[in-house]
Amino acid sequence: MRKSFLVLALIYGMMLAGAAYWQLYSDLDESPANPRYYLMFRQERGPIFDGCGRTLAFSAAEDGVYVRCYAAPSLSHVVGYFHERYGITGLERLYQEELSQGRSLFTTLDLELQKRAEELLQGVNGAVVALRPATGEVLALVSSPWVDGSALDENWPDYLADVRSPFLNRATQGLYPPGSTVKPIVYWAAAALGRVDDETSWSDPGVLNLPGGMISNAGGRAHGQISIAEALAYSSNVVFAELAVDLEEQLLKCFRLFGLGQQIDFELGNLEGFVPAGIASPYHAAQLGIGQGELLVTPLQMAQAAAALANGGILMRPYLVKELRGGLRLRQITRPQVVQELLPKSAANTVRKAMALAAREGTAQTHLSGSLDYAGKTGTAQTGRSAADHAWFIGFAPVDAPQVAVAVVIEHGGAGAAAAAPVGAEIMLKALQMSE
Amino acid sequence: MGLLYRTWFEFTGWAAALVLWLFILQGQVIWWQPAALWAVFVVLWFLTTRLGGDPGALPLAAVLVFCGWVFLTRLDPALAEGHSYGILLGGAAFCFGLLVPWTRLSLGRLWAWAALALLATTAVLGESAGGAKAWLNLWGLRFQPVELARIFLVFYLGDEIHRGGNKWEPLLYLTSFCLILAWQRDLGPAVLVFLVFCWMWLQLSFSWGKLLGLTAAVLVGFYSAFRLFPHVESRVLAWLKPWHYLDSKGYQVLQGLFALRAGGVVGQGLGEGLVHVIPQGHTDYLFAIIGEEFGFLGISALLLCYLGLAFWAVRIVDRLEGRERLIGLGLTLLLHVQVFLVVGGILRLFPFTGLTLPLVSFGSTSLVAQLWMLGIIARLGCRGGEE
Repeated sequence: MRKSFLVLALIYGMMLAGAAYWQLYSDLDESPANPRYYLMFRQERGPIFDGCGRTLAFSAAEDGVYVRCYAAPSLSHVVGYFHERYGITGLERLYQEELSQGRSLFTTLDLELQKRAEELLQGVNGAVVALRPATGEVLALVSSPWVDGSALDENWPDYLADVRSPFLNRATQGLYPPGSTVKPIVYWAAAALGRVDDETSWSDPGVLNLPGGMISNAGGRAHGQISIAEALAYSSNVVFAELAVDLEEQLLKCFRLFGLGQQIDFELGNLEGFVPAGIASPYHAAQLGIGQGELLVTPLQMAQAAAALANGGILMRPYLVKELRGGLRLRQITRPQVVQELLPKSAANTVRKAMALAAREGTAQTHLSGSLDYAGKTGTAQTGRSAADHAWFIGFAPVDAPQVAVAVVIEHGGAGAAAAAPVGAEIMLKALQMSE
Repeated sequence: MGLLYRTWFEFTGWAAALVLWLFILQGQVIWWQPAALWAVFVVLWFLTTRLGGDPGALPLAAVLVFCGWVFLTRLDPALAEGHSYGILLGGAAFCFGLLVPWTRLSLGRLWAWAALALLATTAVLGESAGGAKAWLNLWGLRFQPVELARIFLVFYLGDEIHRGGNKWEPLLYLTSFCLILAWQRDLGPAVLVFLVFCWMWLQLSFSWGKLLGLTAAVLVGFYSAFRLFPHVESRVLAWLKPWHYLDSKGYQVLQGLFALRAGGVVGQGLGEGLVHVIPQGHTDYLFAIIGEEFGFLGISALLLCYLGLAFWAVRIVDRLEGRERLIGLGLTLLLHVQVFLVVGGILRLFPFTGLTLPLVSFGSTSLVAQLWMLGIIARLGCRGGEE
């Protein structure tokens, strides 16, 4: 009889284990067959704020049910959207559990800056990423076109039919050849390895002949005898091609140090891009040195690299979520994280000065050059097709103690100086105004 | 031990008073229901103690019955009212079991014939509900004869297995019993009785060969039922691939699991669950609803109450000898194997058989039969193995 009881107890134990499995470990909450999943979309959830406490996402009561609303349409690429028919994306998805428990999420974004960038990208395909160099906080992240998380019902068929792919987050998932925006990194590599110094001067005949091909400056212009800083400011292809040929494999290593072709530990994820494993020929190296060849980067990677140059070579991890508050648990605060210290510090400072020169009198000049103290570098990336080139800009401001670093890409925008640089300058201006 | 029981009893009393007060405040319930429930178990407690029995089952049964009543009130106060009459009747049934020396009635085959007659009457004159023709209407009294018939059958089996006469005779009656149930499309009780029989037979004298043979028989029976009866097939498919049939066969299984998952550790709270999406929530799937609203802790408490009942019954039965020992075991198993079949089915450990959760689910006949069985076991405890 004791054995019978033991068997009974054993079976009850198994029942208990089964209940524990389903109740505590199973993952059935988000099953589409679960009616609770749909109810979840009608319940109130925690708000999402920007770095200054302005509301980015909130639950609005409509006829007794809650509907999620967003402060700006471009936020759909960052904050995401939350809709019973179209699902959950972005931070809404990443922090689903916390938000559904009513906790509030404080992000690093600046709503005003985000809106300004949205305004500047209206009507073009492209992306803007603005970071705070000292910490890696993402101040704005806009990918154009976007879907409006507050008006999905009305526009969903249009979004699906849109050939410009409004669902694609170009800032983290868009891969572009970087063009001349890699030149600051090449310069940094040469400076860090002691291959150049301020006095080094180069003669630039406008064309560089190499076995396998020819590198020429934009418009075939010869710059004559110039310093390396001037070569950056005027974006001399010949000089940087020569530097790259000289650097060989070191060049690729430096690209990787700056995060190109590397996985970035970012909340929304980020494509790795492409940096080739080795250099095949001097011509290959020359092409890579001017940001062509098979190089592919995301705007977030370029923003991170620009921020590292602004921050004296300290590469910070970009992050979006500053803090979780509310509920029974303690506040969770994200701390800035150093990915890599790129030494020597003087190399970054040298590049910073050259980029400031580019903004003052070089190719990165804009209508704001007189009034705004910034550093920058433009890029015009050939797409390899007959379509217009991609326009790039990376920069930071103010030059001596940078508060903001940006990367701008405008697809088929033509020359970086004309299309992307003014956008970047406007964003830096707005960011400095906001931080005052 | 006595102190422990008393604490249990007082605890349930306070809980009952609290919930009663809350419900009355909301004007949702007629006050006599919990009061009657309470009175029934107090009276039974004193009666059992007076007769020199072990009343330990009563607080545990009270918790379970009370839990069922609370959930039925929460689902539909009209259901709870009907259930309350069942509780009163169940109290009477417990006394009936306690005062009449059932196990001394050595009626032999008569028990089996009574069981078969009850079933056969139902099969011919019965009414259908929920896919099974399991109801009998006698002068306005509507009940499920199978709940009583299986107790009769256990009396017979205990008698017969103990006597060790013709080995095939109990099997013959058992098979006829199961076949009639199969014909009525009510396979849950058939599985239950068969498993209880196997266990009793093994209890008499255990051998691995026997266990192996019985396991084989269970598997063969299972497979042939699967091939023969479409509703068994659909239950098996719902168990194996609920996602494949999430709108049809698998709906109930999945909704039960969703409800359990929604409960988590402490549950959504009474009245906060999404209970009306589960088919048969007040009978077969009440366990899932309790799981959603009271969580894993509530489920654990519920299963511990059952385990306590098993402990109480085994302690009594262990002191008995011979026929009564087997019958006592059979009655105990009838309750607990049913819990396993229900809970295991809802937890997707094996196909769901469509039985109710003993003492908790809605259903007066079932409640009356369960309390009668507890009364019989309590009676066995009163004499303390003097035979």
